[in-house]
Amino acid sequence: MLFNSLAFAIFLPVVFLLYWYVFKKSVKVQNGLVLVASYFFYGLWDWRFLFLILASTLVDYYVGIQIGKNADKPRLKKQWLWLSIVFNLSLLGFFKYYNFFTDSFIDLFEILGYTIKSTWTLQIILPVGISFYTFQTMSYSLDIYYKRIKPTKDFLSFATFVAFFPQLVAGPIERASNLLGQITQKRIVHIPQITSGLKLILWGLFKKMVIADSLAPIVDDIFANHMHYPASTLVLGVTLFSFQVYGDFSGYSDIAIGTAKLFGIELMSNFKFPNFSRNVAEYWQRWHVSLSTWFRHYVYIPLGGSRVSKIKSIRNICIIFLVSGFWHGANWTFIFWGGFHALAFIPVFLMGRNTVYKNSVVAQNSLLPSLTEVFQVLLTFGIVTFSRIFFRSASITDAFNFIRRIVSDFSYETYLHPMGYRMLDYYILLVIFVLYEYLIRKNERSPFAFKNKYVRFFVYSLVVLSMLLFYDDGVDRSFIYFQF
Amino acid sequence: MKKLVFKIGIYAILLLIALEIWVRVFHLAKDTPNRYLDENKVEKWMPNQNGYAVTGNRRQNFSAYHINASGYNSYREFNPSREGFELALVGDSFIEGFHQNYYQSIGKKIENKIPGIEVYEYGYAGYDMADQLHLIHQYENQFKLIDLVVLGLKYNNDLTRAVYEVEGYRLALESPLNKLLKKSKLLVYGKSIGIFSPIQDFIFTTRNLMVNPGPPIKSSTLDTSSEQTKAEELLKKNIENLESLMRLYGFDKDKFYFLIDETVTPTPFIQYLEENKIQFITIGAELKSSTKNTTLIYDHHWNNNGREIVAQKITNQIKNKR
Repeated sequence: MLFNSLAFAIFLPVVFLLYWYVFKKSVKVQNGLVLVASYFFYGLWDWRFLFLILASTLVDYYVGIQIGKNADKPRLKKQWLWLSIVFNLSLLGFFKYYNFFTDSFIDLFEILGYTIKSTWTLQIILPVGISFYTFQTMSYSLDIYYKRIKPTKDFLSFATFVAFFPQLVAGPIERASNLLGQITQKRIVHIPQITSGLKLILWGLFKKMVIADSLAPIVDDIFANHMHYPASTLVLGVTLFSFQVYGDFSGYSDIAIGTAKLFGIELMSNFKFPNFSRNVAEYWQRWHVSLSTWFRHYVYIPLGGSRVSKIKSIRNICIIFLVSGFWHGANWTFIFWGGFHALAFIPVFLMGRNTVYKNSVVAQNSLLPSLTEVFQVLLTFGIVTFSRIFFRSASITDAFNFIRRIVSDFSYETYLHPMGYRMLDYYILLVIFVLYEYLIRKNERSPFAFKNKYVRFFVYSLVVLSMLLFYDDGVDRSFIYFQF
Repeated sequence: MKKLVFKIGIYAILLLIALEIWVRVFHLAKDTPNRYLDENKVEKWMPNQNGYAVTGNRRQNFSAYHINASGYNSYREFNPSREGFELALVGDSFIEGFHQNYYQSIGKKIENKIPGIEVYEYGYAGYDMADQLHLIHQYENQFKLIDLVVLGLKYNNDLTRAVYEVEGYRLALESPLNKLLKKSKLLVYGKSIGIFSPIQDFIFTTRNLMVNPGPPIKSSTLDTSSEQTKAEELLKKNIENLESLMRLYGFDKDKFYFLIDETVTPTPFIQYLEENKIQFITIGAELKSSTKNTTLIYDHHWNNNGREIVAQKITNQIKNKR
C-alpha cells in the first residue's frame, strides 16, 4: 500500500479512529491493532513476505533476551549477537545480493578468460523494505549487546516496533531506544501532535506528488536517452534527479513521521534540508539521517571512528561509504556512488571541518546567506548531484558514458519535455520550492510555521492546488527507495 | 478528539471552497455549453453560447468557443444562398473544434485560402455517420443551397449504426444532477485531469470483487476466428451500415466528400468507395509526414498545424473541383 494511494487514504482514518476511539483503553490492545494494521499494510503488497518479517522479529526477540541473560558472559553474548547479524544479513544476502554476487563471480571468470554458463541466477523478488527492517531489528540486538537498552519480554510490543507501518518499508530506520520505549508506554491524545502530523503528511505529499512525480518523466527520458542528448540536457537531467530523489524520499519520510504522530509516536527526523549543506560532511548529517547514524553507531564507531590514526580513520570512512553504497542496491553503480562520497568526504575530514556545521544551518542568524555560504552550498550541491549520475544510471558503463558526454563534448540545446509540456512550469516550481525550503530551513518538523492562521490556510490551499496542477494520472507513483 | 475531527471536517470544507476559488480565478476548468435536441431530433448545442474550452492541468490549451444561432461552434451564421459558394464541414469533435479558438477553425482557414467561399462547420462531439446524414436529411432545404459537403469519416467508429436514433447517454449529461455538478468548477477540473479515476477504479474493483469474489473465470471456448476474419466481418458490416444510411437519408455523390485518414482505413473499404464513385479526401499521409506535431499535447485533436494541413487538403480539392 502506497502512502499516496486511495487505499491508504481510506486505511489511515479507519485505523486512526479505531485506535483512539475503540481501542483506547489498553496499550496492549492498541499495539495489537497497530500490528494487525501493519501486517495488513505490508501484506497488500505481498503477504508471503510477512513470514520474513515475522522470522526476523522472532529471531531478534529471542536473541535480545539471550544477550540480556548472558550479559556477564562476553563470549556467549557475542555468539548470540552473531546469530542475529548472520541471520539478518543472510536474508538480505539472499533476497538482495545473491544474483549480484553470482553475476559478478561469472564476470570475474570471464575477465580471466573462462566462460561459465550461468545456471545459478534465480528469479528473486526483492521484498519491499527488507533493507530497512533487517537493519532495525539488528540495531535492537546491537543496542542490547552494547548495554544501551534492556531486552523486552513483551513480544507484542517488539513485533509492533519491527512492523510499525508508517516506517516499515522505507524508514526512518528506528532505534529501539527511541521507538520501543514509546510503544510500550500508554499514549494519550495530544492534539498539537496530531495536527503537526497532519501538516507533515501534507508537506510530504506535496514533495512526493508535486516535486518527485512531476520530474520523474523528464529524468527517465534523459537518463534513458542520454546518448542522444547534448551535455546541457544531461546536466539538467541529473540536477532534476537530485530534486526528484529528494522529493521522493524526504516526502516519504515526512509522511511516515506525520503518520506516526497521529498515533502518538515520534519518529526520528530523516532529512534536514540537505540541499543547503555547506560541505559533504554536513550533507551526511542532513541526508537519510537514520541510515547515516546507523552506520556511524554500528560500523564506524566500533571500527574506531576518528579516534584512531588518520590512516585508519580514512579506512573507516571508506568502509562506511562503500557499505552504505552497497546497502542501496546490488549494483556496481551504488558502490561507485559510495566510493565517490568517500573521496569527497576525506578532504573535509582531513581539514578538520567534518563537524563544524553540526549544530547550525546556513544563514543561521541572518535572513540571507553570505556569499561564502552561497558558494559552499552550490559546490556541495554540485558534488552531490554529480554523484547521482552513478546512483541513477542503470549500469556503470552508462554512468561513465553519461559523464564522458558531459565532460568531452559540452554543447547547449533547449530541452523539450518528452510529452511536450512547458518546461518553464517545472523551473518555476523548483525555484519556489527551494525558496520555500530556505524559509523553513531551521525546523524540518514544522513546514507550515506561519503564525497568522489566514496565511497558513492560504499556503495550505496553494499546496493542494499545486498537487492538482502537477497531477499526472499516468505516472508511476511508487517510491524510489522501495527498491532498496 | 471530537473537536479535532470536527475541525478537520470544517478545514476540509474551507479548503474545497478555496480550491474552487483558485480554479475559477485561474480559469483552470472548461466551460461546458448546454446541449439539446431540436424539433427535428437533431442533437446540438443551445444557440448563442460563449465560453472557453480548457485542457491540461495548467490550461495548456485554452480556446474560446462561440455557439452560433444554428447550434454549432462557428464564428459565422449559416445562411446559404443560391448565389454564393458554400461548403459544409460535417463531423465530430475534430470539426466542432472546441480545442481551438473558433475564429481560427478549419473553416476559417479554408475561407482565408479561397476568396468568396463561406464554410459552415456542423461539428458536434460524438457525431457518427448516422448523426451526420440524419442532420443533412433534416436540414435538406439548407443543404440544397450548399455547394459542397465534406463529412468526417472514421472507419472504426462512425459506421456502427444502420439507422439514426437519438443517443440517450449524451443527453443524459444534461440531467439536473449533472447540471448541478457542472456548477462546481473544481469538480469539472478534477474530472478533466483524472483525479477521480483512482476512486472510480477502486469502486469498480470493489464491486467486481463483491459480485464475483473468486479468481477470474477463464473462458473455456477458444476464439477461433482470426484477425482477418474479424476484419472482413467488420468491413461487411460497415459497408452494410453505410449503404443503409445512404438509402434512408440520401447521399449526393456529386457534392458529398468523405474526409478520411487513409493510413488507418482498410484498403478494401477505400476500394469500395472508388468502385461506387463515392468521393473522398485523404489526409493521413500529409498529417503523418509533417515534421511538426499535428495534435495537441493533452488532447488527440489537431493542433494549428494539423488543422492547417487538413484545411489545405480540402482547399486543394475544392480548387480542383471548381
